[in-house]
Amino acid sequence: MSKQRETELYRPGETLAVKVWRGNANGGGFHAYTVPSQESQTVLDVVTWIQQNAEPTLTYRFACRVGMCGSCAMMVNGEPRWTCRTHVKKVIGDKPLEIAPLRNLPVIKDLAADMAEFFDKWTAARGQFQPSQSRDDAMAAISPDEPRRAAANAAIECINCAVCYAACDTVAANPGYLGPAALNRAWTLQSDVRDDAFAERLDAVSAGGGCFNCHSHQSCMTYCPNELNPTASIAGLKRLSAFSYLTGGKSR
Amino acid sequence: MNQMLERHDTDILIIGAGGAGLFAVLHAQKAAPGLKVTIAVKGLLGKCGCTRMVQGGYNVALGKGDSVERHFMDTIIGGKWLPHQAMAWKLCETAVVRIRELENEIGCFFDRMPDGSLHQKAFAGQTFDRTVHKGDLTGIEIISRLMEQVLARPVERMEDHRALALIRSRSGDEIAGVLFVDMRRGVFRFVRAKTVLLGTGGGPTMYRYHTPSGDKSMDGLAMALRQGLPLRDMEMVQFHPTGLLGGANTRMTGTVLEEGLRGAGGHLLDGQGRRFMFDYAEAGERATRDIVSRAIYDEMRKGHTTPNGGVYISMGHLGPDSVAQRFKGMVRRCADCGFDLAGGRVEVVPTAHYLMGGLICDPDTRTELPGLYVAGEDAGGAHGSNRLGGNGVANSTVYGGVAGDIMAGDITSRGDHSLSRLREPDEAAIAVEIARARQPFERQGGNVHQLRLKLMDLMWDEVGVLRTGEGLNRGLQGLADLRAELAETGLPSDDMVFNITWHDWMNLESLIDMSEVIAAAALWRDNSRGAHYREDFPDQGELETSYFTVARQDADGKLSVSREPVEFTIVKPGETLLAGEEEILVAAPA
Repeated sequence: MSKQRETELYRPGETLAVKVWRGNANGGGFHAYTVPSQESQTVLDVVTWIQQNAEPTLTYRFACRVGMCGSCAMMVNGEPRWTCRTHVKKVIGDKPLEIAPLRNLPVIKDLAADMAEFFDKWTAARGQFQPSQSRDDAMAAISPDEPRRAAANAAIECINCAVCYAACDTVAANPGYLGPAALNRAWTLQSDVRDDAFAERLDAVSAGGGCFNCHSHQSCMTYCPNELNPTASIAGLKRLSAFSYLTGGKSR
Repeated sequence: MNQMLERHDTDILIIGAGGAGLFAVLHAQKAAPGLKVTIAVKGLLGKCGCTRMVQGGYNVALGKGDSVERHFMDTIIGGKWLPHQAMAWKLCETAVVRIRELENEIGCFFDRMPDGSLHQKAFAGQTFDRTVHKGDLTGIEIISRLMEQVLARPVERMEDHRALALIRSRSGDEIAGVLFVDMRRGVFRFVRAKTVLLGTGGGPTMYRYHTPSGDKSMDGLAMALRQGLPLRDMEMVQFHPTGLLGGANTRMTGTVLEEGLRGAGGHLLDGQGRRFMFDYAEAGERATRDIVSRAIYDEMRKGHTTPNGGVYISMGHLGPDSVAQRFKGMVRRCADCGFDLAGGRVEVVPTAHYLMGGLICDPDTRTELPGLYVAGEDAGGAHGSNRLGGNGVANSTVYGGVAGDIMAGDITSRGDHSLSRLREPDEAAIAVEIARARQPFERQGGNVHQLRLKLMDLMWDEVGVLRTGEGLNRGLQGLADLRAELAETGLPSDDMVFNITWHDWMNLESLIDMSEVIAAAALWRDNSRGAHYREDFPDQGELETSYFTVARQDADGKLSVSREPVEFTIVKPGETLLAGEEEILVAAPA
């Protein structure tokens, strides 16, 4: 939306028309609310206002308020966003602001999605460090410019908010797909010289629900609130996997 | 009533999933792999709590001229001689092992020097550059890595579970377990455990402006208080000078704008655009957190304010492009919220950040109640009257690990003893606590949110950055009124399923309880130390006769406060462990 249009539509002091999805695993629908508009107002603030003033039983998640915890992601006008960092003026349009629970995850109640499968897949992709050293050893000297370290560093600042998971059409079509966040984490670990589970993780991310499902639609990259590029990470995994196949799994 | 209560057993129960809780899980499981470990958290594992929000980093002495002794002396001097010295020592000593554990076993990515060693940055109040970090998002890195380790292990997880009460055994001699409500299903659950860790984090969110995560409401300390357990240093609430101020009805208000902005040369301006910090301190904006917070609070009381009632931080004179590059995360966050930090002025306000006080324990995390342990912000003692930036996450991870080791060891130590088996709970206490939790459903009317606002205004005005005896007494009276008002406030729906307004009600109850403790302790301290400032007693008092406050609630719910002398078991005021060493002062940030 152009800046000028933003300004035309955004009128603090007046009201916002909002539609919020309410329901549970058995179904639900959108309910309409009118919310006072104010100068400093995020989508999370809109949801909060409704709960505190109009609909006390409205359920939603949030924690840190500053884009660090990744708890408050929702669908806003059909697109996944971190709501604590999305100013209303960025998403306001001609139609009512539409807020719904994250796509591609089961809903628990109203705006709170069940994130269990997202984290189960994180673990299934072996998204945890496998130590090669212990607390009794010295810490490894690793130059920040070392290419693998730099590759991992470029992808490490994921807050596991599941925005990419909700944005991904491949996840929507294939519920067995591990998804961009889990694979992105696996890529950072494959690039970590300290990690000791390269071969096992490569198997995990090359198997049925793994990296080869990705068709590079790049929705993950488009919507990642931290401007990460999971598509590139997944491409990295594909390269490692292909290379491993060609070399008989001998090389990393 | 019994139909509404599910029962569940475990060996080790950990409440809270920040640095303390997650470390306790990993250590307990390693120390005694045969024991069942359960972690319960008010939100999602790895997502709620405050360790995740750490921006600064992790203080640890890693040689090259630094030492555990130096870190310890900085902690004692920073805490104005109030820290429990054995706890402060163990914090500094164990941090050295813990950082290797985080790096080598957990896989944390910490920033590196060109030679490949860990980068350690300067942080206020310290005589050495010792803060290990990952950019300015260190907490995300530490918690994400810990979270995935815990997710991959056979640990029982109870997410979206709110702890309601610590329940004693029938004899009352030990803890028997914890009563929870499964928030998603709206069902009460009693979990028996041989040992229980309180790691819920403090989080002084009863102030109009506050930094902690929205789920924080001091439930852990409120539960300990109701068991008659002693809380120390409760008047010690640390305020961060620059919280974002976006108005009354936005959750962004109160969140931290980092310290480095002032260090880099940022200006603080009053509502008229006048720089005022040099009226208060020679160091101007670069003065320490407490001094800057008091100065801003004073300017606000004088009415020299911005449209939303704070002051401005202004960075533009340093060059907007340079600011945008150096403080990328902060500039982006402000932009997302509609503010131009790089080139314009952003409204800021002091904001309640951390509670130094907490439950009394020994350096092995044991409390007065056998079977109950405490670590992280819920534990009092290590920081005394003021916490150094970078000592918070060091404290929670150090003592979380200690707790895991000790809790497992206390269960498995030889012989048949009370902690080696499960205890039968005091059933009457469970019934009382369920009734307590259900009470708002039995009333009609009122608005919990409006009461929360009243509490936050009251605490800000009367028990805030600058305090007086008169104000504190007004605060206590106001809290009594609020407590009465809350008791009459009900909920519009009796649906217990994921009813967050019900939880808002219970959050408010915990916060009123703890606000009363903070105000009462503040009234008892008749001097000004660290984070606590009494305008009617501005002197710090004699260091040699330093005391700390201890607050307890008796069986009738009556609160009492007493003073206990600080024991200088390692170093006395006027002494140092650094004799002969040259003092190395951290250079002022460029």
